Amino acid sequence: MKRVLVALSMGASVLLAACGGSSVSTNPSTGAPVTSAPVPPPAALQGTGATFPAPFYDAARFAYNQKYSQVTVNYNPLGSGAGISALTKKVVDFGASDVPMNATELTAAGGADAIVQIASTLGTVSLAYNLSGVSNGQLKLTPKTIAGIFLGTIKNWNDPALAADNSGVSLPNQAITAVHRSDGSGTTYIFTDYMSTVSADWKSKIGKGKSVSWTPGQPGAKGNEAVATTVKQTPGAIGYVEVAYVLQTNMTQASLQNHDGKFVIPSPEGATAAASQYLAINPSQFSIVDAPGPTSAPISGYSWLMLYKDQSDKTKGTALVDYLDWLVTDGQQYAVNVHYAKLPANIVKDDIISLKTVTSGGSTLLNVPAPS
Amino acid sequence: MSRGTAERVVPTPLVAASRQRRFVSGDRVFRVIAYGAAGLIMLIAAIFIIALVVPALPAITKFGLGFFTSRTWDPVRNQFGALAPIYGTVVTSAIALVIAFPIGLGAALFLAEDARLQLLRGPLSFLIELLAGIPSVVIGLWAFFTLVPLMRDKVDPFLSHILGFLPLFRGTASGYGFLTAGLVLGIMVLPIMIALSRDVIRAVPRELREASLALGATNAETTWSVILPYARVGITGAILLSLGRALGETIAVTMVIGNTMQISTSLFATGYTLPSVIANEFTEANGNLYLGSLFYLGVVLVLITIVVNVLARLLIWRFSGSARAAV
Repeated sequence: MKRVLVALSMGASVLLAACGGSSVSTNPSTGAPVTSAPVPPPAALQGTGATFPAPFYDAARFAYNQKYSQVTVNYNPLGSGAGISALTKKVVDFGASDVPMNATELTAAGGADAIVQIASTLGTVSLAYNLSGVSNGQLKLTPKTIAGIFLGTIKNWNDPALAADNSGVSLPNQAITAVHRSDGSGTTYIFTDYMSTVSADWKSKIGKGKSVSWTPGQPGAKGNEAVATTVKQTPGAIGYVEVAYVLQTNMTQASLQNHDGKFVIPSPEGATAAASQYLAINPSQFSIVDAPGPTSAPISGYSWLMLYKDQSDKTKGTALVDYLDWLVTDGQQYAVNVHYAKLPANIVKDDIISLKTVTSGGSTLLNVPAPS
Repeated sequence: MSRGTAERVVPTPLVAASRQRRFVSGDRVFRVIAYGAAGLIMLIAAIFIIALVVPALPAITKFGLGFFTSRTWDPVRNQFGALAPIYGTVVTSAIALVIAFPIGLGAALFLAEDARLQLLRGPLSFLIELLAGIPSVVIGLWAFFTLVPLMRDKVDPFLSHILGFLPLFRGTASGYGFLTAGLVLGIMVLPIMIALSRDVIRAVPRELREASLALGATNAETTWSVILPYARVGITGAILLSLGRALGETIAVTMVIGNTMQISTSLFATGYTLPSVIANEFTEANGNLYLGSLFYLGVVLVLITIVVNVLARLLIWRFSGSARAAV
């Protein structure tokens, strides 16, 4: 019985692939070609990895299943490390990571040519604080003062270095509690990547990574939520949090000085502005922190999805690239809903070109026109 | 009453023999099952040790025993040492026992000995079992939202006011740290401490108690010089099991200890424990050395547990000096 069902569903998928795969039609009113996303064959896709973009992936996969009920996508946010190793062991169809796979990891997975990596969404990091009488965006921080606070050289809110940037704001005589993420995270990577870029002192003392060796005495909390809560219930605290959590919980966050010297309140739009400054990014050159441009949010970064270039199961592989193609185009609207940033147009183009290199038995799986 | 019994009165020799054969084979089956179960436990333990040590090998070969004495934990530069989390694990577990031992023993004595408040016993026992059933993440959340502000605003300033002459109670209190984590652990091990001690105290022979009272000892004297010495071995067992729970507890501690790699004499300072480091960093750890170091921390935790168990067994053996020592 089971075998009959499988055979039936395979037959159905071949039919669907045959008649639903076309993607270019003509707009009746203008006569211009309109591209429509291809209809995916039935499949159950498995993915695991980063926690940072998980709210976006959850919203997107749910919406995709509403649209195409024959495809279910499961996503298990176990962390970027788990995403990479699960993909390497081929126990999932796609992996997710806040930092693309490096040379060693690619070698373990069969070489750089065996894997396709695409940027899936954008996020930016905020500095949320708890100071009575200082409202949202009123506190101004420069790269120098942020470094001072987290390196432990600025210990009090009434420090002259802070006062110099914040004329007109009465900063209290209160000890600073700088809170960091204790668990390994993409948010920490983006934050320390930024700090290492703007501060030589930081680069030599701490460096960048998903987990780093913090200044002794500063508390760490597990996850964005816990950092946010610790800041909320500790007077005088400041911590770095993914902007989505700040916006969802209405916390007060600092204005950050960007590369152009302008003070901006981090937002998803600021992340998109920063990302559009870098026309060419790829899995080995992906940092967009400290971006130029007047509205760029300084501490921004991409999150990545990885899959094998050669898909052994053609049906599943087709469903996978169709889903990912949708995710980086129409699916981006669900990123905005949960306060993540839309990918800039040039990155969407790169993603589709990358997805078109995915094959099964030598034939391309993604049946959409190459973006111009 | 029934035809069945009447028929069974005279079993033919053949039936009897077959029944005996069935017994023999039943015996054999039971033995195989029992041996199999015992062997399976050993197999699982062996697999567990191998699964822990093999991934730890890159770190064991690189850092060796220096891992135990190094305070550095720097994933960026691939330098790892376990001294800070070992210190945190030992300190928080010690605080937990200092809190749980007197309270637990007192409650156990009340439940087992005092007959005057019979009505309270049932509900109290029920509450203790309920406390044992609360998932640690729930206790952790409660501690995170309620206990941390309470410690920061009330308990820590009070302790530093009256005991500030000790280095243990100096420094600024953020609410997170060794003391809060130890207190949470103390609350979590209380049910084990109470339930086990109560059963041990109840098992003291009635004759001993009555003999002591008949000789003119008061209730307190009987408890102090007859019951507690007799129950000592069992109570030590209760402490050991509580300690085992405290050493390995992860999520509730992670939420309140502050997760800082440092060694501080102040109990108000933030710190780290072995299970917390593993829970925090495991998901995003990349590279064999980093992952290996996290597994090495697991090996260290197992070693600490073994050392504690051996020490306790020696202690009991010293005290009781008999074969009863094996807990």
